Amino acid sequence: MSNVSKVPRRSLFDRLFEPPRIGAMAPGAKIIVYTLLLAWSAFVLFPIYWLLITSVKTAADVNAGPFFIPFVDFTPSLHAWRELFIVDYADTLRAYVNSLIISLAATALAVLVGSMAAYALARIRYQPNLITILIFILTMTAALFAVFSYGVDWRIVLVVGVGIFYFFSKAVASRVKVPLANGDILFWMISQRILAPIVVVVPIYMMFQSVRMLDTHLAIILTYAVVNLPIVIWLMYDFFNSIPKDLEESAQLDGATMIMTFREVVLPLSRAGLAATTLLVMILCWNEYLLALFLSTAKAQTMPILVAAMNAGERGILWWSMSVVIIVMIIPVVFMAIVLQRYISKGVLLGAVKG
Amino acid sequence: MSTDMSSASETDTLTSDAKRLSIRKMNKHYGDFHAVKDLDIEVEPGEFLVLLGPSGCGKSTALRMIAGLEEITSGEVIMGERDVTHVLPKYRDIAMVFQSYALYPHKTVAENIGFPLKVTGVPLEQRNQAVLDAAAQVQMETLLERYPRELSGGQRQRVALARAIIRRPSAFLMDEPLSNLDAKLRGFMRAELKHMQHELGVTTIYVTHDQIEAMTLAHRVAIMKDGELQQLGTPAEVYTNPTNLFVAGFMGSPPMNFIEGTLSQGSIQVGNDKIFLQGAQEGTAVTMGFRPEDADVVEAGEGRFDAMVYTAEMTGDLTLVTVKHGQSILTIKMPKDFVVDYDQKVGIQFDSGLSYLFSTSDGSRLKAIVVDS
Repeated sequence: MSNVSKVPRRSLFDRLFEPPRIGAMAPGAKIIVYTLLLAWSAFVLFPIYWLLITSVKTAADVNAGPFFIPFVDFTPSLHAWRELFIVDYADTLRAYVNSLIISLAATALAVLVGSMAAYALARIRYQPNLITILIFILTMTAALFAVFSYGVDWRIVLVVGVGIFYFFSKAVASRVKVPLANGDILFWMISQRILAPIVVVVPIYMMFQSVRMLDTHLAIILTYAVVNLPIVIWLMYDFFNSIPKDLEESAQLDGATMIMTFREVVLPLSRAGLAATTLLVMILCWNEYLLALFLSTAKAQTMPILVAAMNAGERGILWWSMSVVIIVMIIPVVFMAIVLQRYISKGVLLGAVKG
Repeated sequence: MSTDMSSASETDTLTSDAKRLSIRKMNKHYGDFHAVKDLDIEVEPGEFLVLLGPSGCGKSTALRMIAGLEEITSGEVIMGERDVTHVLPKYRDIAMVFQSYALYPHKTVAENIGFPLKVTGVPLEQRNQAVLDAAAQVQMETLLERYPRELSGGQRQRVALARAIIRRPSAFLMDEPLSNLDAKLRGFMRAELKHMQHELGVTTIYVTHDQIEAMTLAHRVAIMKDGELQQLGTPAEVYTNPTNLFVAGFMGSPPMNFIEGTLSQGSIQVGNDKIFLQGAQEGTAVTMGFRPEDADVVEAGEGRFDAMVYTAEMTGDLTLVTVKHGQSILTIKMPKDFVVDYDQKVGIQFDSGLSYLFSTSDGSRLKAIVVDS
C-alpha cells in the first residue's frame, strides 16, 4: 500500500465546495451560482413582465394596484391596445414609421461612411502636419469673420484665403513639422463622442433652423449618422486591424484591384464586425431621445418622443398606453438581434481560431 | 510536364518561360533606419535563389520590395526586360507564398487556388480545369471543397503553393514558407518544393533564416546581415569559402569553431600551446576557425592544442564532442562509437588547410594560413 492512493477524509466544507472531479462543479458552488443567476434573471425580466401586464390593465387596476397576476388579481382588457392601434392609430403609426426610416437610414449612412474611414485608417499611413491643420483653421476662421461680420464679398475672401493658406503652408508648414499619425486622427474622431450631446444640441438646432430643416427626417438622419460615426469608426478600425494584412497583399499580388480585394477578401471577413456595429448603432438611433426632442416637433417625431409624451398629457400619466408603445418599440430590436446574433457570435470566435 | 494537361494550361505553360530578375542598388530607408543597403543581385532565369540571414537583417523587406508591397527608396528591379521598380504588384506577374500562407478563410480550397484566375477574368470552365491541374500537382485534388480551417499545416502549405503555381508567374517569391511546419513535415515539404521548382523552372527567390533550408534548396545563397549582402554564391562556395566571420559562423550546424588570439612572433597562444600562422601582420587580433567535421579529438599533447572535455552527445550517426578551452566552447564531430569522459584532457588536431583566419576587428577573411611550425 502506497500513500499515493490514499485520499484524505474531507470535511463537510470541503465536500461542499471542492469539485468532486476535474471539470465538474462543487455542489455548494452550484447552488450559489444558480441562485445568483435566477435572482438576476428575475431582476432583468420582471420589468418586461410588468410592461406586458400593465398594457392590459385598466386605469382603475393600475391605480388600485399593485396587481401581479392577470385573471386572478385583475381582469385584463385590451383597451390601451385598441386605443393606440384602432382609435388613435395615425399618431402611433407615424412615429413608428418615422423611427424606422430614421434609424435604418442613419445606421446605413453611419456604417457605410464610418467603415470606409476605418478601413483607410487601418490600412493607409497618414502623416498630416499639425501646423498645416492649424493654418487651415485660422485662415478659415478669419475668412468666416470677414464674410459674416464685415460683409466682404465671399468671392474675394475665397481667393485671398486660398492665397494666404497656400503661402503660409509653403512658408511655415514645410519648415516646422509636427507630424500626426493615424492614432491621433482616430483619437480625435473618438473624442467627438466623448463630448456630451447636450453641449452641441443648441448649435445643431440653430443650424437646422437657419436652413429650414427642422422637423424633417433628413435633419435627424444626418445628425444621428454624424453622432454615431465615431462609434462605427472605432469598432470597425479594430475589426479591420484584426484581419491579417497578408490576405490583402496576397490578393494584390494575385492581380486583384483594390475594389476586388475589398469585395472578395475584406468584406466577407468583416461581416461579423459590420453586423455587430450595425446592431449597436441601430439600437442607439432607435432609443435616442435628446436630439430628436430638439429636432422634431410633429412630422418627424420618433417613438421615444411619443413615449415621453404619454407622461405629460392632461389626463395624467397613461401607464397602460406607455406600456403598449414600449412593447411595440422593443420588438424590432429583438428581431434584429436574433437575425444578427448568428454573425456576432461567429465574429467573437473568428479571433480564437488560428489561421 | 504530363501530356494530359488541358490545352488552356498548356499554352499558359508555354508562354511563361523563366525570366531573369535583376535587383540593382536597391535601398530601403525607414526614416533614419537603413533597412536594405545597396542590394545587388542578378537572379538567373529559372534559378532558385535563397536570401538567408538572421531575423531583422532586411531579407523580408528586400523580398517585399521585389514584390511591390514595399516602396523602394532607391535602386531598380528589372524583370526580364521590364523595369518594374515602380509598378503595382498586380502588374509584376509574381506569385508569393507567405509564412502565414495567407489563405482566404472564407473560401474553399478550390476557390483559394482559383482566386488569381478569378480576379484576372479567366472564364469559369477554364479556371476549374486549371484548379484541378494545380491541385493535382500538390496532391490536394481530393480536398477541394474543404475550408482552410479544416486542413492541417502541411495541407494549407500545399494550397498556398497551388495558388502560386496556377497562374504560371514569371517569378515565385517565398517568405519563410516552411517555418510554421513541424520538423518532420518541413523536411518533406522542402524536398517537394525543390522538386516542384525544378519541374516548373520558374525563377524563385526564397527567404529564410534557416541555413539548412538554404543549403538544401538553393542554387545560390545570398547571405545578408544588417541590410547588407555579405556573400553570394553556391551553397558549397559559401560553406567552404566564406568571405567573412559572419558567413563562416552562420553556415553549418553545429557552427564553425572560433579561437581568438593576437599574433606575436608568428603564432597565437592557445592555452599552453602555440599555433603558427603565416601571412598575417604581427600584432593583429585574429580569429581562427575550423569546422566541427574537419577536426579530431586525439590524446592530450598530440594535437595542436589541449582542451578539457565538456560533454559528449551521441546523435545517432555521430558523436558531438564539446570541449572547453578558456572562454570558448568548441564542438568536434567524431564517429558514433567514440567515447570520452567528462573533464578528460584531450588534444585537438585539425588540418592546416581546412582552417580559416579572420580579422577579429572587422571580421574580414585574412589571406593568412595555419602552418605546422
